[in-house]
Amino acid sequence: MQATKLRLNLAVYLIFIACILLAPMFLEEFALNRLAKFLVFGMLGVAIALSWGYAGILNLGQGLFFGLGAYMLGMSLKLASPTSMAQGSDTPVPDFMLWNAEPGSKTDLCCINGGSWLWIPFQSHWFGILMGMALPTLVAFGLGTVVFRKRIAGVFVSVITLACVLLVRLLIVDAQPLTNGWNGLTDLGVLTIGETEFDPYSATTYYLVAISLSVTLILGRLLTETRSGMILQAIRDDYNRARYLGFEVSSFQVFFFCASALIAGYAGMLYVIVAEFASPSFMELSFSITMVVWAAVGGRGSLIGACIGALLINVIETSVSETPALVEAWKVIIGLIFVLVVLFMPQGIAGLASSVTDRALERFSGRAARLRQADSQHQPAE
Amino acid sequence: MVDTLFIGLSVGSVLLLVALGLAITYGAMGVINMAHGEMVMLGAYTTVMTSTWLGLGIWWSLPIAFVVTALVGLLIERLIIRRLYGRLLDTLLATWGVAILIQQMIRLEFGLSFFGIHIQGLGPGLQNMSIPDVLAGTINIFGAEFNKYRVFMILVCALMTGVTWFIMYKTSVGMQVRAIIRNARMAAACGIDVKRVNALTFAFGSGLAGVAGVLMAGFKTVFPDMSTPMVVDGFLVVVVGGIGSLIGSILAAGLLGQVNALVAWGHNDVIARAVVFAVVILTIVLKPNGLFAYKRR
Amino acid sequence: MTVAALTLDGLGVAFAGFKAVDGVSIIIEEGELRVVLGANGAGKTTLMDLISGKTRNTSGRVFLYDTDITHWQEHQIARAGIGRKFQIPSVFRELSVRRNLEVASFETPGVFSNLSLRQTAASKRRVEEALELTGLGPQADRLAGGLSHGQTQWLELGMLITQNPKILLLDEPTAGMTQAETHKTTEILNALRGKHTIIVVEHDMAFVREVARRITVMHLGQVLAEGDIKTIEKDERVKQAYLGSKGIM
Repeated sequence: MQATKLRLNLAVYLIFIACILLAPMFLEEFALNRLAKFLVFGMLGVAIALSWGYAGILNLGQGLFFGLGAYMLGMSLKLASPTSMAQGSDTPVPDFMLWNAEPGSKTDLCCINGGSWLWIPFQSHWFGILMGMALPTLVAFGLGTVVFRKRIAGVFVSVITLACVLLVRLLIVDAQPLTNGWNGLTDLGVLTIGETEFDPYSATTYYLVAISLSVTLILGRLLTETRSGMILQAIRDDYNRARYLGFEVSSFQVFFFCASALIAGYAGMLYVIVAEFASPSFMELSFSITMVVWAAVGGRGSLIGACIGALLINVIETSVSETPALVEAWKVIIGLIFVLVVLFMPQGIAGLASSVTDRALERFSGRAARLRQADSQHQPAE
Repeated sequence: MVDTLFIGLSVGSVLLLVALGLAITYGAMGVINMAHGEMVMLGAYTTVMTSTWLGLGIWWSLPIAFVVTALVGLLIERLIIRRLYGRLLDTLLATWGVAILIQQMIRLEFGLSFFGIHIQGLGPGLQNMSIPDVLAGTINIFGAEFNKYRVFMILVCALMTGVTWFIMYKTSVGMQVRAIIRNARMAAACGIDVKRVNALTFAFGSGLAGVAGVLMAGFKTVFPDMSTPMVVDGFLVVVVGGIGSLIGSILAAGLLGQVNALVAWGHNDVIARAVVFAVVILTIVLKPNGLFAYKRR
Repeated sequence: MTVAALTLDGLGVAFAGFKAVDGVSIIIEEGELRVVLGANGAGKTTLMDLISGKTRNTSGRVFLYDTDITHWQEHQIARAGIGRKFQIPSVFRELSVRRNLEVASFETPGVFSNLSLRQTAASKRRVEEALELTGLGPQADRLAGGLSHGQTQWLELGMLITQNPKILLLDEPTAGMTQAETHKTTEILNALRGKHTIIVVEHDMAFVREVARRITVMHLGQVLAEGDIKTIEKDERVKQAYLGSKGIM
């Protein structure tokens, strides 16, 4: 029965991946771009499920990693944007730096303002991509090492992550000359790798997102099936027991915290490619909690459940928002859904699906057993 | 400098009022109430409503807001919180949903705006409250000029803190609450009606937030999501102060209020908040149980 | 020729001046089953905490065979071969019984060395052995959270056994058990006797009589007496210490 369930689980993953890979055949470019955004959110769902469902770490600051990833690639794409040239500069310099430049200062990244030299390496898209993955992971590593070595757990981890995301958001806002403050990075160029241009409305970009999500899902699921994945779940259930069985608890927590941050950072980069902006709003508390809502509705204990939860909520939200009067009403529905899911469906859609399958399998195997019994009673008579 | 400290004190005192409610509900019931900020907002709207519709001043709003928010708190406890005892992180998530619902209730004027009916004082817009003449202007204390309204805020907060302290340490209900904070099961075994006491605690905590809301209405604009930062701050105060410790909450509120005011004075508001967050992170890392947690064995 | 498996040398800890364990020196021989007795607050569980690294001792040393393991981290002590069963049984409630044992059977402590989908043959074999010894085979695919109290205790014991520890620290393994369950626990322990060195903290005298060869009695954080069950029953100081209460036996 365990094996059957594992096979069903695999089938769900394969069907889902097939669906998202086939979607471009049925959608025109505007819808495709929108779906790509949702898939990015789905990836965030996976990141949340990995840390919350599997590691028991409720990160209320996942937006920090998403935002860092987004800003890193956003800086590269900003420098690829023609807008700076349009402002009369010969070298790529962000337009907002030109607007705020001291009269007479040299319009070059080296010294247009105090920190602008930090932007210089971002002229390479590869550097932006590398930093988009490295920075969130490194921040998570630093934060995780401190927190988990100190054996901080439960709600305190949530509070620290929450404080961190709000802290970084304020720092980014405050570093206005470097980051364009509240406005964030807009008017971005198109990511170009080799000969390939990732135009946000192209099928190429969609495939980039869809394949990234598929790979994330598969790798994530494999990760949870490794011995480390099992030990991680054991730590979630009872970290003391795990410790006295001889496991270095904090190393597991840090590793999966980083993995979750890496996924979120990568998702942030994809989002910048698809949505063409990076803004401090990625690091608002409400966005980080919204991610948790997606995972809760889809099922915190299942990577694909959380992913589908994110897709589902966003699809509904978008279709509801077509009618302006319903936009505010939608928030009521989201609030209500959240309360009801926590009260009556703590394992979300995936949990519901799992228990329905269990019951079906039980009935099925029960019938099979009866049939076998009937068979064996028949045989002697023949 | 004195001015800055004074502003810090007034900000800290409102923060304290918000945090007190959170501290006792968290300490006693193991509930993180993310909708607590919405109680502040409801308190502020009660002030707006009583003055627009009943023509009553801020003096009346204080008790009315306390009662209104306490009743709403009681309702939330009955409908939702009661089913979630022992699931700390789930209460955080569920009450976040409740917070959205309450905000939308005000924004959509209880849903009436769908039918084209509008209630003056509600809706998505900004509301401004005027403060009574008695509290406008400044007052001279020991040769220094102080904003009267801020003095009033500090006094009300001090009074409510005193009342809370009195209830917690001098009444039998308070003793029951403290018993529950230490060990809820043991308290139940000793014949304390934990459910009833919890409901009262929750209502009282909400009422305190309502009072804070009235005070906020006097010096800030009132709008449906005015209080989202408030609950985060209040919650940080509780954690920094040490869960279940009243004195810890008081000192942490003072500390964070002062840090905020001092840095804002030296740099700007944005950096001030950033520093507050940094202080919070450092505190948890260095003293995971908060500054004043009582020792468990 | 006997070998000392665990040596406690003047072990002690003070909490804010209060000496919960005070200068305890005990030598436990390889293969021995030692019972630690004592009234509530005598320091038995604290002693376990000190050995397993949960509490850091403020004086004295702990040796596992010839290795000084004083102040090692918990997971290092566990890897060195000391398995600890808690008074309140703790298992991984959201995982199946088999998965609980599998996790316990993994041989390396860190995250990277466990990034593999494979389980070694030795580890699989030990899981099956533990299932058989504890009789939890029929429950193998159930969630551990759904087990009865007694079964949970056996599962935790089984998890320790898959680790094949040199020393087992068992804190009240029969607490809250029915008579039948206690009896089965006795059988499991007797099966383990000789293969592992075992230290048991217990109150249940019927159980103690059945398993104990050598007993250490603790009182107010110190060792009061040591010997076989007859010696202990006759010991004047033990009688004195428990006079007025019901006595320990």
